[in-house]
Amino acid sequence: MLLEGKLHPELKSGGQRVKANLNVGFVGNPNCGKTTLFNAYTGAKLKVANWPGVTVEKKEGAMRYHDNTFKLVDLPGTYGLSSYTMEEQLTRQYILGDEVDVIIDVADASNLERNLYLTLQLIELGKPVVLALNMMDIVTERGMEIDMHRLPEMLGIPVIPVSARHKTGLDILMHAVAHHKENKVPVTEHQHKSGDNYFKHEKYVMVYSDEIEERIDIIKAMLKKKYPDLKNTRWHAIKILENDREIREEYPLNTEGITDKKYEKAIINEKYDFIQEIIEEVMVNRNEKAALTDKVDKYLTSNIFGIPIFLGIMALVFFLTFTIGDVLKGWMEYFLSAISDKTGLLLDLAGAGTISKSLIIEGIIGGVGGILSFLPNIFILFLALAFLEDSGYMSRVAYVMDGIMGKIGLSGRAFIPMLLGFGCTVPAVLASRALENPKDKLRTILVTPFMSCSARLPIYVMFSHLFFGNFAMLAAFSMYVLGIVIAILAAYIMKKISKESNTGNLLIELPEYKKPNKRTISIYVWEKVKDYITRAGTTIFVASVIIWALLNFGPSGYTKEMSESFGSYIGKFITPIFKPTGLGQWQVVLSLISGIAAKEVVVSSITVLCQGNVSGVLTAMGFGPLNAYALMAFCLLYVPCAASIVIIRKETNSAKWTLVSVMMQLSVAYIVATIIYQVGSLVL
Amino acid sequence: MNLSQGVRDNSYKIINIEMPENIERRLQTLGITEGSIVELLNIKKNGTLILKVRGSRFAVGGKIASGIKIRRAEGES
Repeated sequence: MLLEGKLHPELKSGGQRVKANLNVGFVGNPNCGKTTLFNAYTGAKLKVANWPGVTVEKKEGAMRYHDNTFKLVDLPGTYGLSSYTMEEQLTRQYILGDEVDVIIDVADASNLERNLYLTLQLIELGKPVVLALNMMDIVTERGMEIDMHRLPEMLGIPVIPVSARHKTGLDILMHAVAHHKENKVPVTEHQHKSGDNYFKHEKYVMVYSDEIEERIDIIKAMLKKKYPDLKNTRWHAIKILENDREIREEYPLNTEGITDKKYEKAIINEKYDFIQEIIEEVMVNRNEKAALTDKVDKYLTSNIFGIPIFLGIMALVFFLTFTIGDVLKGWMEYFLSAISDKTGLLLDLAGAGTISKSLIIEGIIGGVGGILSFLPNIFILFLALAFLEDSGYMSRVAYVMDGIMGKIGLSGRAFIPMLLGFGCTVPAVLASRALENPKDKLRTILVTPFMSCSARLPIYVMFSHLFFGNFAMLAAFSMYVLGIVIAILAAYIMKKISKESNTGNLLIELPEYKKPNKRTISIYVWEKVKDYITRAGTTIFVASVIIWALLNFGPSGYTKEMSESFGSYIGKFITPIFKPTGLGQWQVVLSLISGIAAKEVVVSSITVLCQGNVSGVLTAMGFGPLNAYALMAFCLLYVPCAASIVIIRKETNSAKWTLVSVMMQLSVAYIVATIIYQVGSLVL
Repeated sequence: MNLSQGVRDNSYKIINIEMPENIERRLQTLGITEGSIVELLNIKKNGTLILKVRGSRFAVGGKIASGIKIRRAEGES
């Protein structure tokens, strides 16, 4: 509340660079509330781009602070600054570059011990650092206290308690940033227990034992001689002593006899020793109250209840998506049909011709509007996924599912991209990068598209309502189960073929459970909903217009006779191939083809193709519930959308594997739909 | 003994980590280092476990866990 009025978040979007007096980088561990804090300053007005060369998101925002403009950059969550993960490399390169003036190190105060490891490394980098102690409310809740006088004394940097959730301390934090922009050597008042060489190096926050300090000095001297322009030689010397791959390659030195494996470990251990000293001095009433998280985890990660609880949660998510979503969808449809009627009247008044009226009402409003009516369902689904992620439950799923995933040769962590696949295939494929093993990653990318994404939901909702009456929800839910079964089966077959299995390598933090943050969730959901609407306005708009044109024009020009249109000729030409799948209606075939652009297009196309009366037109062609079920299964399994092909190409970096992926999706969809239709025809 | 042979709700001290360099580095960054005390919160039949170290919880796969050599830590915290 303090923020409002004084600090106006302001971002000039549209790609132009904001005029900034100060560049502020947000760095912190994953799950420390860094993004929540960042969002508290910038709101949803973000410029989201990718870091150069990689597909990790780079979020930028800007704000006014008195007469200054601060450009804020949210860096990827990272535990350290070594060169072993992409997040660590990115953060390090960004800070070492000249782009950033002040670093806000966001630390989870309730988990200070581990968070300080990154803090010490940031201080060593030599840029001005301000420590934002987040989640102080949780610290207080647990009956702990942090000595806010002693902590900055020991670290030599400003320490500001904040609560990203309650938006407190935000003003003071930026005040500290504005006054700490000068690159001063931190002043500390602390004598290290380890090492008695501190007189020589007392100006440093992190002082190592004599043996190490001597070696740092030697390497520093060598660096200064060989690379006179190098800034912050101490940090580079420490990294060389740590045997950091990147720095050693960049600044080759002959350090034979100076570096040794044992110093690598000692540097890390001495940092943790110092952190231990800090914790002992500044933390009061530690571990007084057992964390709620452990109690909750007794059930949620239990060997017996873990899986049933997970399945229950997922069932609830889909139940809500369908029930609440459908009620809202009714309103949306009412609203859209009102728009359609009003537009029709307006067009008549304006004296619009038949062709333009047909294009606007049937092509554009029919197609795009058909997609927009599913927005409520999508909204609920993403809301649920955001809730699971922000509460801290998502990473537990990796642990809970590790056993089952192990049987199909994948790590439990691979289940997270698969779960995200329920939302959208594109970010799900991106999330597979968290898997270290390249073969694991590839297999996860190949099976993730089988998970039923939200764009497929409109198809299930439409066809299950039209053909399954009271069993509509069951029919739609069965698609999600079928998707999981096919994904697991595919992974199992791949494991059998490659004879390789990479299990037992799970390594993931299980953060404290927390009450999901309203702002974080609304921003997450808004981004997804915005995506959906944007797609409706672009891809689906274009696809709807093309489909409309294909249907209303034939060899003899504009025609009202659909069977004379180009569309029907194309559909009829391919239709024989789809006969065995029960999808031998040219309208269906044509909408399936158009669905490669984006899955929702199947719905908009079929609506346009049947001129709004989908069940009437299809039923008249002998299309019944069995055909509808085969259609739903086919839509579940074939190529999710053009964007998914692009992202798979990017992530696998291989045209061959992209082709394998597309061919696999098409053939699996064809085979499964055929089995459903043929077996169904025999039984029913 | 190694961590995958540990018993639930017990505390152990890490005496050695025998893992490929990249995994060892990642463990170190997370605070799972030689000499640190870990509490075993849960363990599955396949060896995957949840441990608490320096106030954070991690899920660790069986293969990594078997590379973490430990001994019982009594009276230490």
